[in-house]
Amino acid sequence: MEKKTITISVYNIIADKTAMDVDQGQKIFERIDKAFKESLYIDVSFQNIELITTAFLNTAFGQLYRDHKEDFIREHLKTSNLTNSGMIKLKKVVETAKLYYKDPKALEQSIKDILED
Amino acid sequence: MRFSNISNDFNSYQQLITFYEENKDEFFLNIQLDINNFFCANVSAVLGAILDKLILNANNIHFRSIDDKIKEILKKNDFLSFYGYNSEVDIHNTTIKYKKILPTDGKYFVNYIEKELIDSNLSILPRMSKGIKEGIIEAIYEVFVNAQIHSQTKYIYSCGQFFPGSNELFFTLVDTGISIKNCVNKRFKSNLTSVQAIKWALVDRNTTKEHITGGIGLALLKDFIKNNRGLMQIISNDGYYSLDDGREVYKLFAGQFPGTVVTIKFKTDDKHHYSLKNEKDINFENIF
Repeated sequence: MEKKTITISVYNIIADKTAMDVDQGQKIFERIDKAFKESLYIDVSFQNIELITTAFLNTAFGQLYRDHKEDFIREHLKTSNLTNSGMIKLKKVVETAKLYYKDPKALEQSIKDILED
Repeated sequence: MRFSNISNDFNSYQQLITFYEENKDEFFLNIQLDINNFFCANVSAVLGAILDKLILNANNIHFRSIDDKIKEILKKNDFLSFYGYNSEVDIHNTTIKYKKILPTDGKYFVNYIEKELIDSNLSILPRMSKGIKEGIIEAIYEVFVNAQIHSQTKYIYSCGQFFPGSNELFFTLVDTGISIKNCVNKRFKSNLTSVQAIKWALVDRNTTKEHITGGIGLALLKDFIKNNRGLMQIISNDGYYSLDDGREVYKLFAGQFPGTVVTIKFKTDDKHHYSLKNEKDINFENIF
């Protein structure tokens, strides 16, 4: 069966060349999440996006790992036109999200670690 | 209050905190300020945040005496426009305007940074590589978004200054919100000191956000500043952190700053290739 792929244009959705805040990230997350529920294949295009923060990426991509399995995300999601620095940040966001949702309580241990430091 | 030298160091912030502590419980006073020694213009953001807290108590702020050169800079960066002075044109393009920005107004902040750092004639621009310019701007956005998400502040105060002789760009963002310590302790029902809370917030992946990941921005910023051989300072309540040329220092102030200050110094003549640094470690095909 032919894969149904849709393109989500970040620039079109946030109407800005800077992807900075969580509200912008939330809009992208909601689009991806909706398409995932239909088992669609998604290309998130960063064409014309010049600067990106980790806060944006955390909201847009990080929380996908809360609701969807890693294998499913890997199979259904790709990005295009992402800058190298954006790619490095996205990789960090994805690694963090995988760890976080495996053990959300680990952060509480980090408080104990600081107290014992 | 008569300030002595105000630059970007612990003692300067201590003077500002002492000034705040001495006046924070006053009402309907005429508060007099004398600035006749050195005043690093980016610190306008810190002084502006403190003065707004005092104005909330119906105090009057009066600049009794200001050195002419300092006055000229503080008129050029618009700081004194908030206190009854006229603005002045900056023909040398070394100031980055003082602004009070609503935390909800991210778009305004982006426009301000674009105007001041990207489109302006700021004399740093020709000498900066594309990588460092993008790195600086993304670093500033990360700090702004942090204040936007966590601080619960009424305004975010922002100001910068460029020193062409030393190729140094200082940028300060201030909030008068709940502080890092209160934010962490509220989230985890813990009892960390200000210094412990700052230390915790700087650890990669630590975040006070619930049900969503975060905590990467400050850690990345720290790496960037280390590579850039710049300076990063965080002041939150009575906690002080600085990362200066790779060396980290934590200290305690006498008294509390009513919120959080982040000051960053960037070396603008840096030739480091930032965005390519970790490229070889990334499988671009399979990022998820």
